[in-house]
This record gives sequence, C-alpha cells and structure tokens, in this order.
Amino acid sequence: MLDRLGTSLKDALKKLAGKTVIDRAAVEELVRDLQRALLQADVNVKLVMQLSQAIKTRSLDEAPQKGMTVREHVLRIVYQELVNLVGVSGEVKLGPQKILMAGLQGSGKTTTTAKLARFFQRKGLKTAVICADTFRPGAFDQLSTLCAKINIPCYGDPALQDARVIVKNGLKSLGTAEVVIIDTQGRHALEEDLIQEIIDLNAMTQATHRWLVIDAALGQQARDQAKRFHDAISIDGVIITKMDGTAKGGGALSAVTETRSGIVFIGSGETIEDLERFEPDSFISRLLGMGDLKALVERAQETVTDSEIDINAMMRGKFTLRDMYKQLEALNKMGPLKQIMSMIPLGNIEVPGEVYDVTSTKMARYRTIMDSMTATELDDPSVLSGSRIQRIAMGSGTLPEEVRELIKYYKNMKRALKGVRGAGGKFNMQRMMKRFGGM
Amino acid sequence: MFEGLRAKLQKVQTGFAQSIQSGSSEETPLPGKANQTGEEKSPSLLGKVKVLITDREFLIDEKDINEPLFELEMILLENDVALPVTDAIISHVRTELTGKRRKIGEPVDTIVETALKNAILDILGNGFDLISYIRGHERPVKILFTGVNGTGKTTTVAKVASFLKKNGFSVVIGAGDTFRAGALEQIDVHARRLGIKIIQHQAGGDPSAVLFDAVQYAQAHQVDAVLADTAGRFHNRVNLMNQLDKIRRVMKPDLIVYVDEAVAGNDAVVRAHEFERAVGADAVVLTKADMDPKGGAAISIAHTIGKPLMFLGTGQGYDDIIPFSPERVVADLFPEGP
Repeated sequence: MLDRLGTSLKDALKKLAGKTVIDRAAVEELVRDLQRALLQADVNVKLVMQLSQAIKTRSLDEAPQKGMTVREHVLRIVYQELVNLVGVSGEVKLGPQKILMAGLQGSGKTTTTAKLARFFQRKGLKTAVICADTFRPGAFDQLSTLCAKINIPCYGDPALQDARVIVKNGLKSLGTAEVVIIDTQGRHALEEDLIQEIIDLNAMTQATHRWLVIDAALGQQARDQAKRFHDAISIDGVIITKMDGTAKGGGALSAVTETRSGIVFIGSGETIEDLERFEPDSFISRLLGMGDLKALVERAQETVTDSEIDINAMMRGKFTLRDMYKQLEALNKMGPLKQIMSMIPLGNIEVPGEVYDVTSTKMARYRTIMDSMTATELDDPSVLSGSRIQRIAMGSGTLPEEVRELIKYYKNMKRALKGVRGAGGKFNMQRMMKRFGGM
Repeated sequence: MFEGLRAKLQKVQTGFAQSIQSGSSEETPLPGKANQTGEEKSPSLLGKVKVLITDREFLIDEKDINEPLFELEMILLENDVALPVTDAIISHVRTELTGKRRKIGEPVDTIVETALKNAILDILGNGFDLISYIRGHERPVKILFTGVNGTGKTTTVAKVASFLKKNGFSVVIGAGDTFRAGALEQIDVHARRLGIKIIQHQAGGDPSAVLFDAVQYAQAHQVDAVLADTAGRFHNRVNLMNQLDKIRRVMKPDLIVYVDEAVAGNDAVVRAHEFERAVGADAVVLTKADMDPKGGAAISIAHTIGKPLMFLGTGQGYDDIIPFSPERVVADLFPEGP
C-alpha cells in the first residue's frame, strides 16, 4: 500500500539532497508533493492539511541534529509525523475473548472472520465462529465452507431471522471455545435499524473487541462511516482488507483517527492465510522505501520450521543455490515472493521484474532442475559449465535453456540480496542509494 | 445522494460570485485612475477598463477566481471526486470563466452556475439506457458483469434481473462466480425469490462453461437477456484477468458492465481503467450509492472510464436501483433556485 506515495516522496526528497541549509522553497515543494500523494491515497483532506502543516513548521523551525544532513532531518520529521498519523497498532491478546466484526457491505467481513479464526487457531487457541448475517443469501454457506476447510466450528441458522437469537444460541452451543468471532451482516451509517441491531449484539455478547473492517479502496466516506460505528459500539480496532489490490488504504487512516483506535490486521489476498499483523513502524518504513525486516523474520519463524532459511546468511550475501532451493520449498507457506521481497530492506529499489515474474509451476520446475545438481554445484554455482548444464538438463528432463534461465534467476536474486547487506540503520538511505546506483 | 456535494457547491458558488463581484468593483474606478496604474500592472487591467468603457461589460480575471477555485478543488476532493477529475473540472471552470465578459446587470450567479453545470455535464458523459438497448438489439442480449471483490456484483445482477422482469423482458442468470464460498447459494436464493431461471454448475467449475451454457439456454428458449455474474477479481491479478478474457471470448457478451461502489476513493479510477484495458466496459453500475450522500465517486468513474453510467444501486432491496441520467444528477446538484 502507499507504494506510489513512497515513490513520489522519494522524488521530492531528492530535491533536498546535498543541501546544507534548509531551503524553504524545497520544503514547501516537498509538502505539496506529500499532500497530493496523500490525497491520492484517499487520506482525509483535513488530516492531510494538519500533517503537512506540522511537517512544514517542524522542518523549518527545528534545528537538524548534529551530523544529520538536511535531507535526513526532513525525512525524520516526515517519518515521525506519518507514524503519528498511522497510529499505534491495535492490541491483540492471545487469550479467551469474543470479537464482534462490524463493517460496510462488501468490505470483506466474512472472509476476514475466517482468516482471523485461522490466525487464532494457529496460535493454539480453541476458536469458533458465529454467523450472525441473517440478510445476505449464502452468507452462512460461505462462512461454514471456509471454516470447514480449517476445522473451525461454525454456528449459524439460516432459518432464523433474528441475529440476536442466533448469537445467543451460538454462544451457548460453543461454550468451550476460547476465542469466539461473530461475523455480522454488512451495514452502513444511515441504516438506523441495523445500527441498533449491532448495538444490541454488542451489549448482549459483551464483546472483548469490536473490530471495524474497512476496504482499502474506501474513500473519504471512511471518516463518517467510522464515526457512526464508533458512536454505536466504540470500535477498538480497524482491519484493512483488500490490500492486495492497488488501493492504498488512506481511507482506513481516517477511520483510525476517528475511532482513536489502531489498525490490528491487514488482509492481503484471497486465501485464508492472507492476514498480516499490522506494524505501524515497519509499515512506515516500507512506505518510505526502507524495508521491514521484522515482519519477514516473524513470518519466517511462524511458517518455516524444518527447512529454515538462514536469513542472516542471506543478509551476509552468502546465498547459494541450496538456499534458493530451501526458499522455493518454503515459498508456498510463506506467500508470494514479491510480498516477501517487499519486506526486505531493498530501499524500494527496482528489483529486476523477472525476479518476481516466476509462477508457481516454474518454481516447481526449478526445484526439479536443482534436484539433478550435485552438492558441489548447489554450494558453488560458479562451477556450472556448458557440459554440466547439458547433464543437468538431461537428468531433470528439461532443456538447457531452462537450466540457464534458472541460473539467471539465481543471479538476479543474489544481486538483489547483496544490496541488502549492510543496509544497517533506518536513515542511511543516501548510502543505500549510492550502493544501488551502480545496479 | 449528492446532498453533501450540493450544499457545498452552493457555498462555493457564492464564493465565486463574491470574489468576481469584488474583483470587478475594485477594478471599476474612474478611467483616469486606471490609466495611471494600468501600465505598471497587467495589460489585462487596461483591457478591462476599455471593455468597461466601450461595451459596458466586465472582464472576469483569473486572479479573481483563483481562491474560490482552490476552495472548489478542496470541496470536490473532500467529496471523493478523484484528483485527475477534480483537475479536469477546475480547468474547465477556469477556462470558461477567465476572460469572460460579464454584462453589467447580468447576475454573477448565473455565469458561475452555468460554468459549473457545463463542467460537470461534460465530465459525466451520457447515461446508458438499458431498456432501449435491449429493444433495439437482437435477442438474447448477453450482459457480463465484472468488478473487484465485494462491490456488489451478485446483488446487482439480481436487481437488474428484477428490473428487466418488471419491464416485461424474460431473463436468465448465469452463476459465473464458482470461486467464492457461498456465492452459488447466494445467487440461487436471489433467483428463486425473483422467480428467474438460473444456470449453474458446481463450485470450483469453469465459469466460461457455465456462462456458455446460460447463453445456450437463452438461445434455445428465446430468452431476452442473459445476465452473467462473475467472481470478484483484482485488476492486478494477471491469471484472473486472463480468465475473464476467456469468459469474454467464450460467451461473446453484447454488453460488459463494470460494477464498482460509489464509496470507493481514488483507487476506483485506477481499477476502472485496468478493467477497461483488460476486457473493456460498455457501461458502469455504481453500487452502495445510498452510503454516500455525496456521490463524488460517481462523477469520477463516469469521467475516467469514459463509459456511460447505467444504474445506481441505492439499497439492499431488489427495487433499490435507479437508471442513471446525467441531467438528473445536475438537476439534483443545482436545484432550480433564484
């Protein structure tokens, strides 16, 4: 999300590079670019004005810290103010709790409910869901199908018309579950009877959390809608969905401000695993083109158990075909490469497109090819000569071109990872730029 | 809808009027005084005075309207009108107003209102009249619905089916969303409630095959319209867009209708463009218009996709759908007043 914001921000920051004195005109230009970018990302107009004012005043008034260039100084302020805007991450306890889902029609509540159930299940909690959507046809079928796939009990009764009765019965019958997630029907601020329904549901269940599900594409409406939901049931967390599209989720930021809560999760795909915890700090880092190691490591720890990828070795630039093999093996579990790569601090440098454009079938083929390699070849790919390539192609039933393609892919990958090495602290973008300048 | 935008626009109109009014009154001093400052300032001032003397008219200057234009820009943005569309409206108003001669006694309001009306009419394009399209077209008319996840395609299909049925057409629905859990059940319930024939295969099947069958059925039974539902997909998923392209090749739709929600922000423009590029779009349906009293997204999408709006979805009932007409929107935004 906010990729484009990152790019245009970088363009604006370039203008500050090399300056020794803070230049009012340059700062103003930066702020204007930032305003346009944020508005383009659907951030609320008033929030944008507040933010840009704060950045302007602070950049011009505060003296840069010793040893900091002008650009670093301004970047730091932009970063801090953005962190302020994004807010803290909403709290998620791993214990017994009831979660009430709320949101507009079609924002992705049901899908997110299933994803959340999966999240808590993986954390080892006994989880169950209740389908309280009595309006939309097929809602119960949808939720129960999703839950059946992951063995989560799902309570619902399509015959009943009253969501309150369903939830009451559901809570009774799911008595032993530690985490109960209640999926509700989509509603919007102007539907008074439905708002009343969710107030009743909240009062009855005494839900631990009331999470508002917001579509990343939601525009300036987000503020008003969030306000109404907040007034009704005091929202204490926001989930942004459909972040795998091109929408930047700026609307959700308005919702966060309005509800004075934090973003708890981000939904970024159609499968049940596509749910990430929201980390404001790393989120901003990514936004500013400074990657997010933390999320990568977290994700790797959770999914990769036996075939671990030695991230640290990779970071040191020691990346062999063997590492790539392990990586491909883990890939299915870890999610698309692009997602992972976006978390490595590459400074948002353009990694050659072909590194990403590898489909899962191709991945499988690459693995077959590597199965035909010797241990020496895997550890030191530089020994791969024409005759070796010929042999590997024969052994794996592929064409020599495909083996060469694999080697090319490996080299691209290695080069990309090499850049990561020594990226170090958060604000040495300049150094990173230089490093990548030659690429 | 449009209440919010309407109120705001009225306010900005008065802003324009005041600033043009004051701009003009400042610039209507005695000819002698104007001549003194005329050379130092801009030649337009001189021209303005000349116009005043010769034609008894005012010239509206660009700087008189800069401030209200900025205000208008913020208002449009706040009402979900996308950035490029806002720019288009602003520049339209600016060109129309700048250098315009205003006869003394001609109310400023009228000039400003006409300029804004023209700009918005220009942006909105023409509506799309489905009924007359079907009347003038060989049956069955095959209509394919596309869009991203959760915009309300399935509900729209049901609403359009009900709308057509009420207008005396026979309809068959093709259940092309074989991917999302519960989608088949959802459309099946809609069809049963409406008493409309539905063609469906089992979950996970090939949507092209289902929709092909729906078209076959319509041809064999002389049905007037085939409404093809599809699974929601993001425009940046190449595989899914290819699948949609395959559906298009197989069922050869007469109309491709792109469905999006009226509450979407700037991304609406991006994805509308991508869908238009990948499979094309002949008309647009905007759903959830009842959530947004402003309606800025309607204006944006209509402009960007360059395709006519067909319907607005305005609620959860089958009858909550209104055929779209730009004249009505403009009439709604600028109610006949003083």
